[in-house]
Parts: sequence; C-alpha cells; structure tokens
Amino acid sequence: MHVLLIEDDTEAARFLVKGLGDRGYSVDHAADGREGLTRALAGTFDLIVTDRMLPHVDGLTIIERLRGKGIGTPVLVLSALGGVDDRVKGLKAGGDDYLTKPFALAELLARIEALCRRASAPQSTRLKVEDLEFDLLARRVTRAGREVELTTREMKLLEFLMRRAGQVVTRTMLLEGVWDLHFDPQSNLIDVHISRLRQAIDGGTDQPLIHTVRGSGYVLRSDG
Amino acid sequence: MRLDLFNTSAFRLSVGYTLLVTLALGVTLGSTYLLTESLITDEVDLIIGSELKSLQDRFSRSGLAGVTDEINLRIDSWGRIGAVYMLADSNFERIAGNVTHWPFDGMPTEARPEFEIETIEPGRRAVHPVRAAVRTLPGGDLLLVGTDISQGRRFAEKFRMATLGGIGLSALVAALAGFWFSYRLARRVGEVASTCQRIIAGEPGRRLPVGGTNDEFDALAVSVNHVLDRLEEQAGTLRATFESTAHDLRAPLHRLRTRMDALLLRSPPLETPVRESIESALHEVDRLQRTLSTLLQIALAESGTPLAAPAAVDVGQLAAELVELFEPVAGAQGLRLDCRNDSAAVVRGNRQLLAQLLTNLIENAVKYVPSGGRIEVAVRRLGDRVRLSVSDDGPGIAAADRARAGQPFVRFGAAAKHEGSGLGLSLVAAIARLHRGRLELESNEPGLRVVVELPA
Repeated sequence: MHVLLIEDDTEAARFLVKGLGDRGYSVDHAADGREGLTRALAGTFDLIVTDRMLPHVDGLTIIERLRGKGIGTPVLVLSALGGVDDRVKGLKAGGDDYLTKPFALAELLARIEALCRRASAPQSTRLKVEDLEFDLLARRVTRAGREVELTTREMKLLEFLMRRAGQVVTRTMLLEGVWDLHFDPQSNLIDVHISRLRQAIDGGTDQPLIHTVRGSGYVLRSDG
Repeated sequence: MRLDLFNTSAFRLSVGYTLLVTLALGVTLGSTYLLTESLITDEVDLIIGSELKSLQDRFSRSGLAGVTDEINLRIDSWGRIGAVYMLADSNFERIAGNVTHWPFDGMPTEARPEFEIETIEPGRRAVHPVRAAVRTLPGGDLLLVGTDISQGRRFAEKFRMATLGGIGLSALVAALAGFWFSYRLARRVGEVASTCQRIIAGEPGRRLPVGGTNDEFDALAVSVNHVLDRLEEQAGTLRATFESTAHDLRAPLHRLRTRMDALLLRSPPLETPVRESIESALHEVDRLQRTLSTLLQIALAESGTPLAAPAAVDVGQLAAELVELFEPVAGAQGLRLDCRNDSAAVVRGNRQLLAQLLTNLIENAVKYVPSGGRIEVAVRRLGDRVRLSVSDDGPGIAAADRARAGQPFVRFGAAAKHEGSGLGLSLVAAIARLHRGRLELESNEPGLRVVVELPA
C-alpha cells in the first residue's frame, strides 16, 4: 500500500512515517501544500493523508483539485480544528474521513486500513465470516446454522464489523458508523455493547469471532 | 415577522387622528351651518317685522279700509315676491289678502308661527312653507304678514347636505390615509423585526433594508446595520482567535501524543512499569485534549457565532437512540434508564451538538446516581417549544448551588470525588443558548431534574 502523507509539522510527520512504515505501508512525505498537490497529481497512491491547514495550499483545496481532475483516491484529513462544523466542512469538501489532532496512532492506522480496503469491498447483501452468516435483506443472523436473536442496533453493529472482517475497528469508528455520533462520550459505552453482541454471537461456541485488540478496538475474524 | 396591523401604535394613532379630524370639521362646518340658517331666518323676520309695522301705521292713519287697500295694492302690483298677507275679523274670517282662509287654529302662540299654503302655478300644485307674524289691530281685527321661505329652506337643505358630505368625505380620506400610513409603518417596522429574528436564527450576514429615501427608517437601519457589522466582525475575530489557539495548543499535544504512541509501539516492548506510566500519561493527554475541545466549543458557542447550517433534528428520536446507547452502561451500574418521548419533537439545530448536550446530561446522571437509582429522559412538545429533561432520584444539588451549576469549572458535593472537568453543564448551557433555548436545574424531590427548553 502506497500512502502520501502531506503534513507541515515535520516532527509529527516523522513519527507517522515510521508508525505507518512499521505496519508495512510505504509512505511518501510532502511538507507543504504545494508539494503535496504536485505529488498527489503526479503519483499513484492508494491513499492520501493530509493535514488541513498547510502552507501555500490547504488540505481542502488539494482535495478539490484532485476531485476536479477526476482522481478519486481516498483522502483522510487530519486537523487541529475539531469543531463540529469543521468536520462537516472537511467531509463535504470530499474528504473520506476526518481525524482531529491529537489522535492515537492506533486510531489513524485503523482508519487508514478501512479506507484502503473500502475501495475494493463489494456491497453484498449476504455477509459470511466462517460459520457466521448475516442475510441483510431478511434481517436474519445465524451462527453455525442456528438463528441468533439480535436487536436492530446489534445488527447494525454486527454488519459494521462483518463488512470490515479482519480489520481493526476502533470505538470512535463504531460510534461514528453505527450511532452517527461524532464526539467522544467519556464512558466505555461501546465495550458494553460489544460484550452483549459477543455474548449473542460467540456465547456457547469454542471458536470466538469477536476479539479485543489491546489499545485499539475490536476485530471480527476467525483466528485468535 | 408579520405585525398585526390593528395592534400597532401607528394604527391606533391614525384612528385617533381620524376621529379628531372628523370632530373638528363637524364642529366648524356644523356651527357655520347653524349660523347661516339663523341669519336667513333673522332676515325674514326683519322683513316681516318692518312690513307689519308699516301696515299698522297705515291702520292708525286711515283705518281698516286703508289697510285693505294697501294689502290689495301690494298683492296685485308691486308687492315683494313671496309675500303673504291676510286681514281677518275677530272670528278669523277673511276680509282681505292672498290667503283663502285662516291658517291656524285660533290665535297662534308663537311669535313667528309657520304654516304651509298651496299655490296653483301653471301646470302644477305646490306647497310652500310660510313664516308669519300676527298682530291684533285696535278694534279686534287680525293682521297676518308672512313670507314664503321655501327658497331659504332649499338653500339650508343644500348647505346641510354639503356640510355632512364634506365631513363624511374628509373622515373617509383621513381614515384611508391613516390606514395606508399605519400599513406602511407596520411593514417597515415588521421588516426590521423579521430581519433581526433571522439574524438571531442563524443568518448573521443579513442586514436591514435601506430604502434610499434618507428618512428616519433609513437612519435607523443604517445605525442598526453598523452595530450588526461590528458584532459580526467581533464574532469573526473571536472565532479566528479561538481557532488559532486551538491549533497552537493541539499541535504540541499531538506531537507529545505521537511520541508516546511511538514509544509504546517500539519493539522490543518496554518494561511493564514504564509502559504503564506512559499509558497513564497518555490518559492525561486525552483528558487535557477533551477539556480543551470542550472549552473551545463553549467559547465558540458563546462568541455569538450563530449555528452553521441548522437542520431539522428529531430530538425525541435522538434521545431514544442515546438512551439505548447508554442503557447497558447504566444497567451494569444497577441503574434504570428510561426514555419517554413525544413524537415529532423536532427542533432546528445541529444533531451532533444536541447529541452532545443529551450525552453530557445522561453521563452526569449515570456518574452521580448511586446503584439502584432511576434516570428518566423525557422529550415533550409544549406548544412551540420542545422540553427535554433528564430526571434522577440521586443526591441532587442543593437549591443554593443550582444557580451556579452551569458556570465553568464549578463542581460541588458528590462531583468533587469524580473525575471530570467541571465543564459538562457549561457546555450543555452553551449548546442550549446556541439553539436559542435555556437550561434549568430543578429539584426532582428527591434528586435532580435538568431541563432544557428549545424553540421548535
């Protein structure tokens, strides 16, 4: 996976390049908006991560130029502007995701992974991970052929996890994707919901599918 | 904003003005009419009086025969137009004159009695009013002298019609002018009021219309627009200051966090005590960042910057979703969390901010209500307002402290031992104000009820 990181804060950028590199991404770094835009237009990247406030050309303008040229590479916007309106503006401008600084590296990695895979994920109405099956049209979930009773919200939560099977999903991603809440409540709300879902899906089996990833979030996959 | 025309001071003023104009005109024209009418009558009376006197003189000089001659002479030849004479004996029988029979029942009591005579004119019969005077001559005969007053009557009638018509027309014109005047005034004041409301409702760029006529309304609009420009400029400056502050504080926090993250991801892994202290430091960084975000959000909400792009938000549904989100956490702490909602409790606003408001209230309740307690979230539609409340049966807040509860960093009683910034309720108050609503804390007897009222 080839990622372009446009970030004028060189120290922060150094850690990000290293963090992403450790996870197997090859990262190009551009230190200002003009350089970033030139590289983004010239190269082929799987993902662009850009700061919003940049010297010369700002992050939202870069997205606008790219989209104007018909380049649909997913863009993740990093910003020190954390207001509700700022987020909306960032996403409206064509950003695919928006992360407010400071953020945990794990959060950034999870979101980058989600964006890279999203481009290739087909939109199916039947989801299947091992012996867990979810018929979205019939709203029916079965584990090893046995029907599992779930609430509407639990189904939404499960669908979110199954569509990202094998990827780490953070608590904030779940709050945004399942509850449409773009701020962090203080309580561990998600953990309790996940443990309820886990009870329903994995309870009574010796092969758990929902796993906790320490310091990051959750992942739905077959192996431990 | 549409003003009720009939309830404006301009309308009341024009009604009063119309009444005054009508009254003044009525008094002026009415007294002119009465004066003219009495002048006409006086002149008739003067003629009758002088003629009576000359006939009485004639009687004293040449007796009844002389008067009879004089009357006949006057009737036949040079008498004035419309003159009426009659000489009658004491039994009211006619001796001479141009009236065929005595017009009264005996002697009239009034000084100037009036009666009607019929005249035969070529082709038609006519009735003429006559004003007269009667004198008893020495010897008992009666002398009547009168004047046809039909012309005077006609004149007075026309004059009266003209007067009444004039008053009526003036009143109508005054009323129409007043109506138009108050309509225009109400419209311009209404424009000012509705523009101000739209500015408050989230269109800060709006300005009062200036007609270009340099009238007092233009002067008012120009001044108000100046004030609005200043306010918008100040809000903009504040916003820019907050944003650069946010940026300047977040950037070092971000570097700090990234470094600590990198340490944790290092291989080989750090020793457990080192890792644990880094993790707890990270936790503090996150808290700091959250406090900073909340403070900035409050500052932005209070800076007078109106809500950007407000949309219809079903607060009832939002509350239900949040209660569902919090229910497992509340349940795990032995709390009962319920939701009671009215359908169609829709307000115009920002869904994320309203969700944050409700989240803070529910989080507070979950934090402070001891195990076994009850929390109820209710959304009610009350006329043109939506009332959301979070009630609990927990320790509550003393009445004396409740008023201070919405201020930043104010914490008391049970709150002091919990982790928290002391900004939760301030943010709730700020978001409520941003939505033109207000926050109130009440006693739930026992417990606390936090109420937020928002315009629907």
